[in-house]
Amino acid sequence: MALDLDAEQLDRYSRHIIMDDVGPEGQAALLDSSVLVVGAGGLGAPVLQYLAAAGVGHIGIADDDVVELSNLQRQVIHGNDDVGRPKVDSAEEFIAALNPDVDVDTYETRVTQDNAESLIEGYDVIVDASDNFPTRFLLNDACMLADKPLSHGAVYKFEGQATTLTGGPCYRCLFPEAPPEGTIPNCAEAGVLGVLPGTIGAIQATEVIKLILDEGDTLEGRLLAYDAGGMSFDFVPIAPNPECPVCGDQPHIDSVTEGEYAGACTLGD
Amino acid sequence: MNVELRFFANFREAVGQKEIGWEVDGDATVGSVLRDVEAEYPEVDIFNEDGEVREFLSIMKNGRDITYMDGPETRLESDDTVSVFPPVAGG
Repeated sequence: MALDLDAEQLDRYSRHIIMDDVGPEGQAALLDSSVLVVGAGGLGAPVLQYLAAAGVGHIGIADDDVVELSNLQRQVIHGNDDVGRPKVDSAEEFIAALNPDVDVDTYETRVTQDNAESLIEGYDVIVDASDNFPTRFLLNDACMLADKPLSHGAVYKFEGQATTLTGGPCYRCLFPEAPPEGTIPNCAEAGVLGVLPGTIGAIQATEVIKLILDEGDTLEGRLLAYDAGGMSFDFVPIAPNPECPVCGDQPHIDSVTEGEYAGACTLGD
Repeated sequence: MNVELRFFANFREAVGQKEIGWEVDGDATVGSVLRDVEAEYPEVDIFNEDGEVREFLSIMKNGRDITYMDGPETRLESDDTVSVFPPVAGG
């Protein structure tokens, strides 16, 4: 496979290639991989930066927002001149400027019950860099049902969470249902330390790259809880829940097109 | 005896600190301590109208989810740590 790398790629990725744990084969695997990043905001920015720099050959970006001035405090792939433009467009331009090896597909849409399955279908790994519970639970369920690895990251003020879900336990094993709307404030309501999603997003990118390389130990079965204020990292074990509605012994979610994800995001029995 | 309570995200704000020591009786359970916390801090909301832990919260004793022990009836021993862990959504 090493012969597939041209002279420019051997140079660009030389710090990967000289490592035994990556090598030319690992780099070729990265170039041959595809990752869908849902959300091109605070978390998505560093995820996209590092996946593109690492040479993930095919990156999909799903986001239906436009860049706002208040985003620029943390969403480092968008610039002043991008305010008002679709985030998927400025994200695509950022990647094109960084690494021409990366093919980008953009989806200027929210992930919905109707499009979730088809969006994730063509990708090896999915990254949840979204900003709301309905999308998070929808992605968890869709990825579990389609047997796609999912990198989860979320931020709140000075605190961040990250985990990697590869078929069970899943996010619902720890949190069976989303909180009712208004219970847990989002970034716009609560605020977020600008650099915090940089840390969590970089961890998500790390996990994705490890999954592609099949190297190291991921956050599978444990949730990382990072407190930027106390500069502490805690790990919460995620045990498989036999009563989990998606990956338990008798799951009752067998399709994301049914059930209720909007609003309170609880599923009717 | 004394146990340690740890709070994350918005629960941290509701009690005003990350960790607090809590004096409990020898027969204390996770549920009894958290009910005391609810009584002490009006903004802390852990139990629903039926007296069950709200579905979206993860409550842990010594880092393990109480779902896989005896739930809120899980007994406490001196120096145990109880964590209240909500999901967060921001991105």
